[in-house]
Amino acid sequence: MRNKQLEIRQRFDVRMLYFFAATPMFLGLLLFQILQLQWFEHEKYRLQADQNRLNIIPILPVRGEIIDVQGRGLAMNHIDYRVSLIPERVEDLDATLSTIAQMLHWSNDKVVLIQKRIKHTRPDRSVLLDDKLQWSDVSPLAARLHHYPGIDVQAGSYRRYPFSELTSHMIGYLSLANKEDVDEGFLPSEFIGRTGIEKSFEASLHGHLGHQREEVDAHGRRIAVINRTPPTMGKTIQLALDTDVQQAASDALGERTGAVVVMDIKTGGVIAMLSKPGYDTNQFITGLESKQWQEWLNNPEKPLLNRATQAAYPPASTFKLVTGLAGLDQGSHLAEGSTFCPGYVEFSDRKLHCWKRIGHDTVSMHDAIVQSCDVYFYQLADQLGMAEISDAALAWGLGEKTQIDLSPESRGIIPAQSPYMMAAIKSTQSRRKKWFRGETMITGIGQGALTTTPLQIARLAAAIANGGDILKPQLLVNQPPEILRHVDVKAEHLKRIQSAMRDVVRTPAGTAHRALGKASWTAAGKTGTAQVIKLSSNKINKLSDEEVKRHHKDHAWFMGYAPFENPQIAIAVFVEHGGHGGSDAAPVAAAVIQVMAEKQLHPQNNSMTTVGDE
Amino acid sequence: MKRVVVSLDWVLLASLLSLAALGMCILYAAVYQGDMGLWHKQSMFWAAGMISFTVLCFIPLRLLGLVCWPIYALALFMLMLVPLIGDIHMGARRWLDLGIANIQPSEIMKWALMFVLASWFATREARGMVNITVPLMLVAIPAALIINQPDLGTTLVLLFAMAALMIAAGLPWRLFGLAVSAGLASLPVLWHFMHDYQKQRVLTLLDPQSDPLGAGYHVIQSSIAIGSGGLLGKGFLQGTQARLHFLPEQHTDFIFSVLAEEGGLIAVILLLGLYAVLISRILLIAQRAHNRFASMLCIGIASIFTLYITVNIGMVSGIFPVVGLPLPFISYGGSALVTMLAALGLVMRVAIESNEKIPWQRPGSPLA
Repeated sequence: MRNKQLEIRQRFDVRMLYFFAATPMFLGLLLFQILQLQWFEHEKYRLQADQNRLNIIPILPVRGEIIDVQGRGLAMNHIDYRVSLIPERVEDLDATLSTIAQMLHWSNDKVVLIQKRIKHTRPDRSVLLDDKLQWSDVSPLAARLHHYPGIDVQAGSYRRYPFSELTSHMIGYLSLANKEDVDEGFLPSEFIGRTGIEKSFEASLHGHLGHQREEVDAHGRRIAVINRTPPTMGKTIQLALDTDVQQAASDALGERTGAVVVMDIKTGGVIAMLSKPGYDTNQFITGLESKQWQEWLNNPEKPLLNRATQAAYPPASTFKLVTGLAGLDQGSHLAEGSTFCPGYVEFSDRKLHCWKRIGHDTVSMHDAIVQSCDVYFYQLADQLGMAEISDAALAWGLGEKTQIDLSPESRGIIPAQSPYMMAAIKSTQSRRKKWFRGETMITGIGQGALTTTPLQIARLAAAIANGGDILKPQLLVNQPPEILRHVDVKAEHLKRIQSAMRDVVRTPAGTAHRALGKASWTAAGKTGTAQVIKLSSNKINKLSDEEVKRHHKDHAWFMGYAPFENPQIAIAVFVEHGGHGGSDAAPVAAAVIQVMAEKQLHPQNNSMTTVGDE
Repeated sequence: MKRVVVSLDWVLLASLLSLAALGMCILYAAVYQGDMGLWHKQSMFWAAGMISFTVLCFIPLRLLGLVCWPIYALALFMLMLVPLIGDIHMGARRWLDLGIANIQPSEIMKWALMFVLASWFATREARGMVNITVPLMLVAIPAALIINQPDLGTTLVLLFAMAALMIAAGLPWRLFGLAVSAGLASLPVLWHFMHDYQKQRVLTLLDPQSDPLGAGYHVIQSSIAIGSGGLLGKGFLQGTQARLHFLPEQHTDFIFSVLAEEGGLIAVILLLGLYAVLISRILLIAQRAHNRFASMLCIGIASIFTLYITVNIGMVSGIFPVVGLPLPFISYGGSALVTMLAALGLVMRVAIESNEKIPWQRPGSPLA
């Protein structure tokens, strides 16, 4: 009995020891787990807690504006107001929507559309109800906002191009960030410059995102703003462009297709750069319809093409100046003397015609430039040879990119640059590859394979006027001139060319006399009429008979500078299928010169046009 | 009265009061910026609980030994009534409307069962056919009724308390091992009978990230709260997870996360330390008790506390599935607090009787 009792007591005491041992084991298991979380994985959980509670809201920067030389807006930001709604915070969705619909004058269709949009959004996400509203539209709502929980009115900005088509190619357009942009760190709601200046100066125009760090609760509701880095606004860019001049060029060109470039001959500042037809850049902001985009893409007039920099055409007779300069430089006896133009030139079995079939009689270089005699330059080119001509063309900045801050840019074609043509010029073996003598001759008058952009021709005119400096065309105002190259040309030679160009305008026989002879500024220049050989069958199929007829018309050119005594501006006018340089291109230059001259006479009366002055 | 005060176990009382102070601080942080009324209510519950604690310090254990069987019978009767006339809350039929108050018969059964088991093993060892089968039946009937409600948590408490008391009563280890193996083997069967929400909780425990915004959300958020607390914590009332409502049920089942986030490892060690002192003290009182009924009572109570602490903290830190057991003396909740304080009152009574050497056992009993 006693033993039994003792045995039971001992067993109980032993079992008690297990209990004493089990307690720290249970608590130790817990402590081990807590130690794991709080010590070894603390950093991970600390970050997760911060991610939980912090919401970083990006604040979009306001894009820099683009203004012209007089400070008029070319690309402006307009303040607009947006109304948005967070569904889960609205008590009575239908009632609220109908009130807002009434205040903002929505159509029934729009209400249905918005209801659909709300249905397809997570209830805790903001839904855009309406944007591009004026303050007068939203002020009744904004004043009573506390009556409508879940509704928010915010100010934003959107891009507007007051001159739209007038400046479309130069200013360019924006579109929303695409996948690649987002990969680079842009937000899907940011607009990025796609063409023109909006693209080239994207870095300075764009500005930098700001951020707001907010503390949010488990439901995503904002509890407090922790800190705020304001966005940096993009820089405002002032262009050398003068909208008045641009407008005058556009008016003068009318409905015709073509390009006009006006350049400051000392600084290279681009005073005007017009390409027609243009397109409405505002549509990219308001939401471009794909039908409109397709229309632009397929339009045979190619409105999206910047004809001033992206398209190259045969320079026609304007190129005779380069051939002439090459001749003077080489000391060719023809350059010093004269030749007889019977209206054609014959060699081997071929016959090349002068534009004036009855001939020019005896012509010197001066006469040949004034009257644009082809025969003289056929002969000069024949004497010089293709290599000399292409060297001169390259020296004067043709066949190379002008380095203007607009991309893409065409470099044009100088025959010697093309490997095929290079081979052809040197080769005497293969007939197929042989460069014909006649080809050198027509290159000498700016026809054949040679092509240039209107901007290159304007720069050539500027170089002739400023003594041989090939300038980089500057888009921004007050930029120091950037001389890319100085052409090693004798002043005396340049003077001869200049005086011939002057007589193109001054003398009644000159090809641009009728258009520019009575201009306010004394101008010097050269006309050109580029023959259109033939249209591709592909292009013909797209056009009506009347258009085909028009498309067989010649391209009209004018290049020159003014005033003659104290040159300020260089001009290039190109009219696609415009007809004749003297009658169709030179008058556009006259209109531009007229505006420039009047502006200098009445500098205070700067605003000839009121378009876009807001 | 004086005798009782002189015989008090001061260590037990001190650890209890420390837990009370710590618990009220954490609850303050948990309901801060929320319903502060809960904090005031909890103070009232503490007052009520301390009254029941004090009252039980004066009630002789002998009385409890007499009334435990009728209480068990009454609790069993009410449990049987539940499926017939019980109220349904949150998908489970657990409550009985007695006219004056809604009560959970399973709560009463938890304690009644512990008393009858303690009483059974007070004069017997857990050896021999009859000595083991009878208590098994005492547990099996209410357990079957409770798991049917369904209430897995309370069922686990019953089984755990029974296991603890049987081990204390000298259950042969091989039988214990056999029972554990049988239990593990029957897990697939149990899985089959589990409700979908219970299965989901188990699956969530295995991989919380499988459904981060759904069932796994609670475990992930409380792990983040605990882990981000680090060594020193974020400071009183500074816990972002708690302040910004990322924690579910942060004043009841998940209150430990608030403590761990704001107080860090230091506070966790403090809390676990206090629990260690409390439980060891109860076990010490059990060992020093002059009769087996008193020892068994204390062991049962210590086991239940240990189970509550382990399951609750294990749940919020991701060791166990989400099972709704409160954190003793810390979680908000009146009935749980009052019953636990009453249980501690019993432990204190055991300590007092051992100090006073109050006789309980009938003379001549073999185990006296």
